[in-house]
Amino acid sequence: MFVTPVMMHMADALLSPGVGLSMILVSLFALGYSVYRIRKDHTLTEQKIPVMAVMAAFVFAAQMINFTIPGTGSSGHLCGGMILAAVLGQYPAVLSLSAVLLIQCLFFADGGLLAIGCNVFNMGLCAILVAYPLIYKPIMKRGFSNARAFVASILACEVGLQLGAFCVVLQTLLSGITALPFGAFVALMQPIHLAIGLVEGVITALVVIFIHNTRPELLDTALENKSPTVSAKRVVVILAAAVVVIGGGLSLLASSNPDGLEWSIAGVTGDTELEAQYPAAEAAGSVVNSTAVLPDYAFASDAENPLGTTVSGLVGSAFCVVLAGGAAWVISLTKKKSKAH
Amino acid sequence: MADMRGKIQQLYALEQLAAGDTPIHRLHPGAKLLVTFVYLVTVVSFDRFQLGRLLPYLIYPVLLMSLSGAPWGLVMRRVALALPFVVLAGLSNLLFDRAPVLVMGSLTVTAGVLSCASVLVRTFLTVLALTLLMAVTPLLELTMALRRIHIPEQLITLLEMTYRYIGALLEEAFSMSTAYHLRHRQTKGLELRHMGSFVGNLLLRSFDRAGRIYSAMKCRGYGRPYRQPTPRPWRWTDVVFTILACGLCLLFRFVDVGLVVGRVIGGLAVC
Repeated sequence: MFVTPVMMHMADALLSPGVGLSMILVSLFALGYSVYRIRKDHTLTEQKIPVMAVMAAFVFAAQMINFTIPGTGSSGHLCGGMILAAVLGQYPAVLSLSAVLLIQCLFFADGGLLAIGCNVFNMGLCAILVAYPLIYKPIMKRGFSNARAFVASILACEVGLQLGAFCVVLQTLLSGITALPFGAFVALMQPIHLAIGLVEGVITALVVIFIHNTRPELLDTALENKSPTVSAKRVVVILAAAVVVIGGGLSLLASSNPDGLEWSIAGVTGDTELEAQYPAAEAAGSVVNSTAVLPDYAFASDAENPLGTTVSGLVGSAFCVVLAGGAAWVISLTKKKSKAH
Repeated sequence: MADMRGKIQQLYALEQLAAGDTPIHRLHPGAKLLVTFVYLVTVVSFDRFQLGRLLPYLIYPVLLMSLSGAPWGLVMRRVALALPFVVLAGLSNLLFDRAPVLVMGSLTVTAGVLSCASVLVRTFLTVLALTLLMAVTPLLELTMALRRIHIPEQLITLLEMTYRYIGALLEEAFSMSTAYHLRHRQTKGLELRHMGSFVGNLLLRSFDRAGRIYSAMKCRGYGRPYRQPTPRPWRWTDVVFTILACGLCLLFRFVDVGLVVGRVIGGLAVC
C-alpha cells in the first residue's frame, strides 16, 4: 500500500470549466504577486533562478524516494513544499513548486492542464503562503531547536495538507462531477491527509535538522530574508480575492447545471419516481422508437435533461468513433505503403 | 528504484517523440496549445451524465495520434497513471447515484453507471489530449509560445531550467538510492529514520550542483542581454488546423452530432 498524496492531484476530468478557469486565474494572480514581491525586494537576483530551478528538480527527485512507514507495512513519499519554503523562502518556493506541478502535469499525467490552477492552489498556496508564514516561520524565528523543528514542521504540514484536501473536496463537489455527499467526501479525505501530514511533517523536520547540523546558513537565509515576511492581513486579502474570483466562476456554473444537481439529489435519496417527474420521457422514447433502431429500450429522461443521452446518440457517437478509427487506420496504412516505397 | 528509472525513461520518451518530423509536429506550438485548451474546456463542460456527447471527441486524438505516429502503449500508460483518484470519484457515483435511467429487459442502467463511465471517458480524453500535445511539441517551442502571450519571463525560465535539471537530479537520486539498497537489506524503501539524512544529502548535493551550474552558465554569457530567437510565424496550415480543430470541438459541444448521425442511421434502417 502506498500512502501518497495522489488524491491531492486534481484531474481535468473532475472539474467543470467554471471552477478550473477560476482557479487558474487565482493561481496566476498568486504567481504574479510572488514574482512582483521577489522583484520588489531585489531577491530575484540572476543567481536565484538556477537555485530555484535546481530546488524544484530536487523536490521532483525527492518525491521518487519511497520510505517504509514503521509498523504499517505501507510506504509513502515526500511532497516537499515545506522544505522548499524553508530553504528558499515562501515566494520563490511558490514559483518552484508551480514549475514542478506543471512539469508533472505535462509529462507525467499527474493532474491536468485545466486543473493546474487547482493543484497550484491546493498543494502550493495553502502550504507555502498560508501554513509556512503563519505557523512554521513564527515558531522557527524564536531560535532553532530540534523540538521546535518537529513542532513547526508537523503543525505546518498538517495545516497545509488539511487546507489543500478540503479545497480538493470543495472544487470537486462544486464541479458537480461526483455524487459523493459532502460529509462522506470530507470524512474520506481529511483523516487520510491527517496521517499523510504527520509523516510529511516528521520527514520535513528530519531534513531541516540535518541541514541545520551541516549547512545552517541555508535555513538562516530563508528565515532572515525580508521577502518572505507577509502579514496575516495580506494573506487574508489574497484569499478573499481568491474567493471572489472563485465565487464568480461558480455562479456561472450554478446557472448552467441545475439539472445535474437535481439528478444527483435524486440519486442520493433513491427516489424511484423519476420517470413520473419527467413526463417528456415518453416523447424522448417516441423519438427513439421512430428511428426504429432499438425499440425495446425505455428511457427515464427528456430531451432537455442532461440525462437525455439517447441510444441514438450513443449509436451515432459510436459510428463517428468507428469512422475516425477507420480514417486513422487508412492513414497508418498509407504511411506504411509510402515507407515501403 | 524502478519508479525512478521509469520516470527518467518517461521523460526522455516524450522528448524523443516531440522531436519527430510529421505535419503535426511542424504545426505552430501556439496553435496546438490553443486547440488543446479549447478541447479540454469543451470536453469538461458536459454534464456528468452526457456520455454519448463525449464519444465524438475521440475523433481528434485518434486522428492526431495516427498522423503524428505517437505510440498507443505510451499514451495508455499515462491514462492509467491518471486513474486512481478519478476511479474513486467514479465508483462513488456508482454507490450514491442509483436512480434508474435505462431499462433493457431485466437489466437496469443507473445514473451512477452512466456518470462513472462518463468520468472515465473524460479522463481518457483529457489525458490523451495533453499527452499528445507533449508528444508532438518540444517544451522549448511551447515556452516560446508562452513568452508570446506575456507569461512572466522568470516563470518560463524557471520552467525550462527545472525541466532540464530533473533528469540530472533523478540520476543523482537513483545513484544514492542504489548505493543505499546495496548496503541495506531493506528492499521496499528507505527506513523512515534514514529519510532525514538521505533527503538532506540529496538537497545539499542539489544546492552544490546549482552553484556549479550557475558558474557554467555565467561562463556561457548568462545574465547579459541577448536577442531571443525570432518566433516562427503562423502559416496558413496553422490557421486551417486551428479553425478546423476548434470548430470541430465547438460543433461537438453545441450540436449533438451523435444523435444526428444516430437518427440518420435509424432513418436508413426504417427505409
